Amino acid sequence: MGESEFDVVVIGGGSTGTAVARDCAMRGLRTLLLERDDIASATVGTCAGMISSGLKYRREPDIVRMCSREVVNLNRISRHIIMKVPILTPFFSLEEVGSSTDYVTSYANHAEERDVPEMLFLTPDAAVELEPKLNPDILASVYYEEFFIDPFRLCMLQAMDAMNHGAIVKTYCEVIDIETDDAGSVEGVVYYNRVTGAIEKARTKTIVNSAGPWAHKVAEFAGAKLELRLNKGAHVILDRRVVNVGLVLKALDNRWIYLVPHENTTLLGTTALDTWEDPDSLVASFDEIEYLLQSFEKHVPTIREARIIRTMAGVRPLVPQWNMPEEDVTRGYEVIDHETTDNVKGLVSFTGGKLVMCRIMAEDATDLIMKKLRRTTKCKTHEKPLPGNEDDVDIVALSKEYGVHMHALERMRARRGTEIVKILELTRDHPEWKTTICTCEPIIEAEIRYAIREEFPQTLNDLRRRLRLGTGPCQGTFCTYKAAGILADELDLSGDDFLVDILDFRAERWKGIRPSMRGEQLAQEELAQGMYACVGNLDQSDVDYDIKPWEEGT
Amino acid sequence: MDFHTDLLVIGGGMAGLVAGTVATEKGLETVLLRKGQSATAYSSGAVDVIGYLPEASAPFISPEEGLTAIAGLYPLHPYSIVGYGEDVSPEQVVDTIISRTKTAIDWLKEHLSKTRTPLVGDFSSNIYPITILGTTKPTCLIQQTMYPADLEENEESTLLFAGIRGFPEFNSAAAAKTYLEDRVALSLPPRKVAHCEIRTTPFGETLNLSQIEIARHLDHNEGLEDFAAQLKDHTDRVGATHVAIPPILGLRNAVANQTKLKDLLSAHVFELLGFPPSVPGLRLQLALEGIFQESGGKMMVGHEAKSFKLKNGVVESVLAQAPKRAATISAKAFILASGKFIGGGLTGDENGIRETIFGLMTVTGSYHSAEDILPSKSTNRLAITPEGQPVYATGLTVDPNFRPIQEEGVEWAGNLFAAGSVLAGYNYSVEKSGLGVALTSGYSAALNVSDYVKEVSK
Repeated sequence: MGESEFDVVVIGGGSTGTAVARDCAMRGLRTLLLERDDIASATVGTCAGMISSGLKYRREPDIVRMCSREVVNLNRISRHIIMKVPILTPFFSLEEVGSSTDYVTSYANHAEERDVPEMLFLTPDAAVELEPKLNPDILASVYYEEFFIDPFRLCMLQAMDAMNHGAIVKTYCEVIDIETDDAGSVEGVVYYNRVTGAIEKARTKTIVNSAGPWAHKVAEFAGAKLELRLNKGAHVILDRRVVNVGLVLKALDNRWIYLVPHENTTLLGTTALDTWEDPDSLVASFDEIEYLLQSFEKHVPTIREARIIRTMAGVRPLVPQWNMPEEDVTRGYEVIDHETTDNVKGLVSFTGGKLVMCRIMAEDATDLIMKKLRRTTKCKTHEKPLPGNEDDVDIVALSKEYGVHMHALERMRARRGTEIVKILELTRDHPEWKTTICTCEPIIEAEIRYAIREEFPQTLNDLRRRLRLGTGPCQGTFCTYKAAGILADELDLSGDDFLVDILDFRAERWKGIRPSMRGEQLAQEELAQGMYACVGNLDQSDVDYDIKPWEEGT
Repeated sequence: MDFHTDLLVIGGGMAGLVAGTVATEKGLETVLLRKGQSATAYSSGAVDVIGYLPEASAPFISPEEGLTAIAGLYPLHPYSIVGYGEDVSPEQVVDTIISRTKTAIDWLKEHLSKTRTPLVGDFSSNIYPITILGTTKPTCLIQQTMYPADLEENEESTLLFAGIRGFPEFNSAAAAKTYLEDRVALSLPPRKVAHCEIRTTPFGETLNLSQIEIARHLDHNEGLEDFAAQLKDHTDRVGATHVAIPPILGLRNAVANQTKLKDLLSAHVFELLGFPPSVPGLRLQLALEGIFQESGGKMMVGHEAKSFKLKNGVVESVLAQAPKRAATISAKAFILASGKFIGGGLTGDENGIRETIFGLMTVTGSYHSAEDILPSKSTNRLAITPEGQPVYATGLTVDPNFRPIQEEGVEWAGNLFAAGSVLAGYNYSVEKSGLGVALTSGYSAALNVSDYVKEVSK
């Protein structure tokens, strides 16, 4: 059993956990981040990436103010991974427009600081000109703008920045116990290293529990109680940019849902169902898919023409307010000091919160940790850029210099900012690494090699989160085996492990593809089965493949 | 443009082209519609007959063993259907199934022997060609250029996996490791396996190379000689007796190229089974089109069967639509070989699985109605398993003459026959039976059509 000592151990590598690790490390704390799977592999990995202006939460003006300020902060530190998306909310009747237009005022209050125009009312003609797929029979619509961040890159960059400031980040390390002394003070964490199979231990007086939908289980290890309202949200992902403007409207049951262009696809979401299921085995249901599609049929009559390439489902760890619909639960967060609530000294947990709040949540929790450790360094996470945001990137010049086409470079820039140059430099010795491996995105071999060397992936799925590998219309049909070969080469994997990586990746893609199998996707998957089962004979492979949580049962 | 023919074949993959050729040879005037590229052209170019029973893990030693098992366990499997003809007695069922399949295999080998794509292997045993992943799979026939010669028998053989820079489909190091680990576990030759990467610049390109570009490049002498010169350094260095390359040996001259490389390298070069878009698949497609046209059949490429007229229990005509023209084609008989989901013979959505042209009854692999099944419910939790995804065993169910039947068990039309992957009851990806079923059912449907047309023409 290895043992080491830290000022703080952060549990969970989602948006909040990575933000906490970054903040703690920047304030000079010896920081360890433990993540049971990979960075951004749970809740944040299934979100749309909207860093919301808070428009939906105008019943809570403080939250709206905080959201807006955090959008400004995120734009300051990570503008390279943020896109501004125009949004339309179409109305079919005056009743829908509403007697009160307080949303216009609420939005206008903070528009200037975010550098967006105030909300505009548009005629049907003007709206259809902006988004031709919109039903022209609408009465009116409002136009506003929201920001979307690449949630995977945000978490990765926060983790990388934490490491740059001395933090140790360990993925595939699952906390299995928290040790406390007789007085109930935290002494350390025990974790299972899923890669090496070893049980390891880290000594620490303080722990930040940012385990998202598992936070109550982590608290239990220390004998502390934490209540959450776990709520499932599912998305449907369409194979192309069905719309180029986001549409936000009321679903069949009057909840707000959206259809937003996202990278090379379109996201349709979300649902909200209270859940008690294992978050690892959760998938979208047929009802959720139909609910989303049917809610949009009137506004975008052609919505069913697009191919559904997959679904994704995640769990929101909401503040435990009950006897109200999910939409009415506060979007605020709570930082819980278990010293006050359970007499467990040194353990701090989160409930609630939104992606947009991850940095401020981390600031709050780190302030509390600093107080506990009697340290005084102030938070700088809203000032210092995340890696890659140090400067502008001239795609045109880089394309000329390195001979990589601009489309690939623009996509790479949106993931990496200034870091792009380090990747392109690899192609000086290896010009063949300019070859496109994932043609949907597209991703060149050099970026895959760079990510393997610099961003500690263990599997192809980890590479997907870092690169968007296999996330496009073919869902990895054509890049799985190519990327597996590169991973095998860089990590010197055995032949069996090369095949296991292919099977793992197909399993994870299938998890999302399966619930929405219909239309052209049946042909796409027939091709994938033809390649990996019929030709590759991998259905008959005797490699050591571990059944995934969502594959258990029959 | 309206015209009449004896037989109209809808679909231009293995099933349709074999059916068309057989029918033409039987003296029928045959027209074939091909909407787009067929699934055959996307295939690895190997002709599987039967590798495994569904859910089983041990491969069949020979097609005969597999067909015997299928005939006993799956009487409605497309292979089994030929055993239930009127003139077949119960004791003859299995033999009939085996002999029909063998006849079809022999027929294909003979017909392709003079084309750009001669086949090796035969009905007596399954063979195990190597894939670009370094795995192996059971199949019956492979193209001559994929034949590994005595690689796995010769104790002295040394295999070199040769990849190509800028061609991401094949990672020679990963394939070499995978294959060697297998051979070591089996304790069989080759004992020595190496890998290398060479450069080739088809049409000046060094990046994002595709199988087809490289194949076209190697069809030219200079391309092949440059390829051989580079390969020679590596084969000499490791003392390779055999060289495995991705499926790129040429579209036109693959066989001659293989011979030339052997002379230049003093090593036996062969192609691995690859993924789409696949050169051997395309070669097979072109060869099949060649024999069909040589037999006198007419192809209408880019034409899609859009609608039909049914009168007195027979299909009268089909409207063939191309982007800029249309033709109403009346025929004495029709063969539907429109494929599965890739080919477009079947579609599925939240309302069920449908046959796309005639609206024929669809069934699942266990012969329940597939009209109302949700495709996602007809799947397994595991992505890649020997059980496969049940949705890919859906399709049409047919009578012993390969005529699609309705709920009552009688044929939908007296003169409509079906063949290939539009048929239900088998999952080609897990059985490794795709082109074999297409071949045998296409061959059989054509024989039945020929009898039918002779009968109605009397």
